[in-house]
Amino acid sequence: MKPVAFDYQRPASVEDAVALLQAHGRSAKLLSGGQSLGPMLNMRLVRPEVVIDLNDLLELDYVREAADVIEIGALTRHHRLATAPEILRALPLLAYAAATIGHFAIRQRGTIGGSLVHADPAAQLPLVAVTLAAEIVLRSAAGTRSIPAADFLQNVMTVDLNEDEMVVAIRFPKPSAAKAGWGMRLFSRRRGDFAIVSAAVWLRRNPDGRLADMRLGLGGVAPVPFRLHDLEDPDDEGAPGESWASDLAGQAAQRVEPEDAPGLPAVYRRELACNLLRGALTDALSLAGERHG
Amino acid sequence: MNRPFGKCQMRVNGAETPFAAAPGRRLSEVLREDLGLTGTKVGCDAGDCGACTVLLDGAAVCACLTPSVRADGAEVVTVEGLGALVPRLQRSFLRHGAAQCGICTPGMLVAAAGLLRGTPAPDRAEVEEALGGVLCRCTGYAKIVDAVCDSAFEADPGEASPGPAAGAAVGARLERLDGGPKVTGAEMYGADHLPEGALEVRAIRSPHHAARFALGDVAAWAAAAPAPVHVFTAADIPGENLFGTIPVFVDQPALAEAHVRQRGEAVAIVVGETAALDALDFAAFPVTWQPEEAVTDLSAPLPDLHAGRPGNELIRGVVRCGDAIMALAGAAHVAEVTVDTAYVEHAYIEPEAGTAWIDGDTLVIRACTQAPVMDRDETAKVLGLPAERVRVIPAATGGGFGAKLDLSLQPLIGLAALKTGRPCRMVYSRAESMASTTKRHPARMTGRIGCDTAGRVTGMTFDGDFNTGAYASWGPTVAVRVPVHASGPYRMEHYHAVARAMHTNGPAAGAFRGFGVPQAALVQETLFDDLARAAGIDRLEFRLRNALVDGDRTVCGQRPGGIGIRDCLVALSVAWNRALAEAAAFNEAQGVVRRGVGVASCWYGCGNTGLPNPSTVRVGITAAGRLVLHQGAMDIGQGANTVVAQLCADALGLPVGQVSLVDGDTAKTPDCGKTSASRQTYVTGKAAMLAGRALRGTILAMSNMGEDAALSLEGDVLRVHDGRGSRDIRLADLPVDAHGYVLAAEETYDPPTVGLDADGQGEPYAVYGYGAQMAEVEVDTALGTVKVRRMTAAHDLGRVVNPLLAEGQVEGGIAQGLGMALMEEYVPGRTENLHDYLIPTFGDMPEIRSIFVEKPDPEGPMGVKGLGEHVLIPTAPAILNAIRHATGARITRLPALPHRVLAAIRAAR
Ligand SMILES: Cc1cc2nc3c(=O)[nH]c(=O)nc-3n(C[C@H](O)[C@H](O)[C@H](O)COP(=O)(O)OP(=O)(O)OC[C@H]3O[C@@H](n4cnc5c(N)ncnc54)[C@H](O)[C@@H]3O)c2cc1C
Ligand code: FES
Ligand code: FES
Repeated sequence: MKPVAFDYQRPASVEDAVALLQAHGRSAKLLSGGQSLGPMLNMRLVRPEVVIDLNDLLELDYVREAADVIEIGALTRHHRLATAPEILRALPLLAYAAATIGHFAIRQRGTIGGSLVHADPAAQLPLVAVTLAAEIVLRSAAGTRSIPAADFLQNVMTVDLNEDEMVVAIRFPKPSAAKAGWGMRLFSRRRGDFAIVSAAVWLRRNPDGRLADMRLGLGGVAPVPFRLHDLEDPDDEGAPGESWASDLAGQAAQRVEPEDAPGLPAVYRRELACNLLRGALTDALSLAGERHG
Repeated sequence: MNRPFGKCQMRVNGAETPFAAAPGRRLSEVLREDLGLTGTKVGCDAGDCGACTVLLDGAAVCACLTPSVRADGAEVVTVEGLGALVPRLQRSFLRHGAAQCGICTPGMLVAAAGLLRGTPAPDRAEVEEALGGVLCRCTGYAKIVDAVCDSAFEADPGEASPGPAAGAAVGARLERLDGGPKVTGAEMYGADHLPEGALEVRAIRSPHHAARFALGDVAAWAAAAPAPVHVFTAADIPGENLFGTIPVFVDQPALAEAHVRQRGEAVAIVVGETAALDALDFAAFPVTWQPEEAVTDLSAPLPDLHAGRPGNELIRGVVRCGDAIMALAGAAHVAEVTVDTAYVEHAYIEPEAGTAWIDGDTLVIRACTQAPVMDRDETAKVLGLPAERVRVIPAATGGGFGAKLDLSLQPLIGLAALKTGRPCRMVYSRAESMASTTKRHPARMTGRIGCDTAGRVTGMTFDGDFNTGAYASWGPTVAVRVPVHASGPYRMEHYHAVARAMHTNGPAAGAFRGFGVPQAALVQETLFDDLARAAGIDRLEFRLRNALVDGDRTVCGQRPGGIGIRDCLVALSVAWNRALAEAAAFNEAQGVVRRGVGVASCWYGCGNTGLPNPSTVRVGITAAGRLVLHQGAMDIGQGANTVVAQLCADALGLPVGQVSLVDGDTAKTPDCGKTSASRQTYVTGKAAMLAGRALRGTILAMSNMGEDAALSLEGDVLRVHDGRGSRDIRLADLPVDAHGYVLAAEETYDPPTVGLDADGQGEPYAVYGYGAQMAEVEVDTALGTVKVRRMTAAHDLGRVVNPLLAEGQVEGGIAQGLGMALMEEYVPGRTENLHDYLIPTFGDMPEIRSIFVEKPDPEGPMGVKGLGEHVLIPTAPAILNAIRHATGARITRLPALPHRVLAAIRAAR
């Protein structure tokens, strides 16, 4: 099958792009890497009247490091996320997540902006954006607004994006690197496939070994990835002990209500969540330094 | 504010190339359709298969997801341009046997080229990472990785290696004779040939599993197109609107009339210029469906789908000897199991494609196929033409594995060409291919086997229902083959096996590597493990005790010669003991991950079951001294072109390098039957050997030389010499025959068989092949995931004609067996793409070690037995037995998805 006939625009600047969006509204589709939109166009699952190709907007392909934030342009490709030195240093969880997306050719084209807007419940980048409390920066002809990733992602493939808006950047707060650790575990039936369930963890320890700060995220068990805020408060009991990861993962599993899917019973999905989170916690803790401080 | 982009320019393979980039046009389309660079393949249009991989400014991308406009001003490299870039890589692919059908090869080569530019000597992990997005269904990937890793050490191109000498072809590790075009991108598959002025054909297909339908105002719908389009329906079919594979079971309409029985069934075709079709909204095609109650599996009864098949039973096959019930009653140990298997999709990377055109008063069809002559006869019948007025030219075929035995688009493009008088091309989409073509039968099978205290099997019963879907296809073959083979290559004096092919509204299930035997083997091999445990005997030893040996009777009462199963099992024994010890040591740690080892056997009769299936081969020498072999056995990647030529060349006594091949074009080449039932190396190979020998006889008689004389063909002189003298035959002086040869021979060979009686007794096959495989697996007992670490495969080929190609068959067969065991489950309507339907990729494959046993067959040419299907049969049961050994989990439903494995592990605790 082939895409329906559409008009095709190649704006040369973000201003042009948002002007086009304003003019065409709902009948337009933005094109970034095309790694999700492409198949949908080819199968005629979307039938836009206008496609606005953002690939000439090199101004949106950047990784910018400031004192307490790393800002990433919407058109930055997965491959760059996985290899950029700033990201590897300051946001290793993001770099790892990007490296696990699909396979080589997909990562050459796919972009962070496209992935967040596509909002597949199992996708890696939305999970990391939620876990690390990223802000999504949106532009329209009227101006700019920014919104936490957790609010941006509303439902399966549904985001808080007005029809005249586009994503221009994603801002990740730069976590402190001292005694910090991260972990990400993904479960897919075959290497390179979309994960079925995924878990992401970032944490930091005090010099005495106790947890100072922690973020837990789960993907693939609900319509959108989410954080387990109520489990993130480090308890005062001291440094995490032997059963810390299992206990925490077990509690997390009680909080998820996955749905049955063909060939994948909900109970198994919950079990995966528990397992993957335990693994991610263990990885994060060990990266953050010795168990008992 | 927009840059105009109507005229674009890219640098393709070094040449500045202007192109017109219409909105929505993909780079893959521009390359293939506008620039004629058909080396870039299309297998899915969704990023799933990687067949379309090209380098865009140096980076590998999927051309099917790249808008052509994005190539404006860019540097694009396709497979056609790789010769300049990585000349050794293509040679390395040939030398390693990394290309079988070749449809994935361009994508693999391009992805590898992208890697090699920055990493000239990559390790295996780097290769797997870079090529990981490209799927291959034939090779099992190992040879591809080898070829990329070793490419730096490949000899300079141009340094041609001298082929084997006369008489030394059989047994040589010869690279495939037809490989060249597969690595340059020049090979022409069904979709690659676009005759001048060709129209495009698209089908309207049923979205329902069963429905009545009525067409609406088709003309008004078609009028929306900017140029005229034609719509043809069942009413336009001039002949008998039914096709099939076995004469008495022909039941499938080319275009349905008022009623569809399965999803994906075509009800109309729309024919026109591509641009006109693109402008139409196929979702709005005027057809009203009245969906009917449908059942696609064996779970519930269903009103009869076809007259004359009460209870939806298409046919049943039976084999009975002795008294199995009595034997089981008296057995020391009895084990029983019920196994369920899933629909399995062939998932060749090439969706069906082909062209048809009129040449004088002949309709020519050039399409992918495994059976050119059957295509011709069935298409002629549907179109109301005499068979002589249809010519089938086989296109290079990008994998078949059984599904391209059946007709698919042939009658549709034939109809379009007949009606419009124009050349017509049709290319199935991935979804269309998956929905409408045949599958492996899902089966529900129950077996019981008993043995005595010494572990000798005394009797077996087997009862299986095979879901044959909406149409017969090869269901009868499956039902007949299964009871013959369900015993495995073991002695069973008391045996009763029944297999029924049952209709449902699922997709028609047909031929798929092994015709039901891979499913049946799961039952017997699972039970052998049960019994070995019960009797306290090592599982390999248990199989050795029961293996057939020469002189034994099979369950059909036949006494085949050259039975090699014992030799195969013995060949595994060293590895078996090593693997058991390793697994035990590993498991001492009591970790979450546990290792296990499993073994399973196969046997498989080559050729049709108790029915004639002749092949005819012609070999000739022209006046100019060209040695030509008319080799009609379709080579769908398995290597018939090469092995048949090797057998012929050695029988004739000329070097195989001098053989030129003529393919199975029905206008040029005698019938070699179907590429199925592992029959081509044996049956066509034997005809080729006989033809070679006959030609040699003619030459020796002409030159009055003895049997031991040697031949050499130098230009137009054929020299015959022995130690004492030499005689020259000047070919140009000889008269030319009707086929254009001065010397020629044609021979037919049909396997000697005896049809089966009502109890399934007879001599169903003249030649059998044997094998045994051992799986070493690792099971994560927390997640239920299974990683196959190593497969050791011992196969008795009788005589190894070509070890390189034989390894390729083993590795590819294991890949498919592994997929069937662990991941493949086709659900009609839900898995019609290559991301919901998973086939193994690089990371899933174990290390594979092939061991070839040569126990000559008295009937096969030079002792040869078949191999193509055997290789897949033991894989899944060996893996399941290894999972059981690792964890105690007895898996009875395939595929062994992680949640099923986990449930079975818990059930076993
Ligand atoms: C075979 C295959 C495997 C894959 N595997 C994975 C995987 O394992 N994990 C994973 O996360 N992803 C996977 N993907 C998807 C991939 O990551 C995509 O790149 C990503 O989902 C979308 O990014 P894109 O830049 O390609 O967006 P596009 O496809 O161009 O666009 C996606 C959507 O976002 C909109 N959009 C794009 N850019 C903007 C913007 N700046 N502002 C507003 N809207 C915008 C588009 O209109 C469209 O609706 C896979 C894809 C394929 C083909
Ligand atoms: S055709 Fe492009 S990935 Fe399959
Ligand atoms: S050789 Fe790879 S798909 Fe056939």
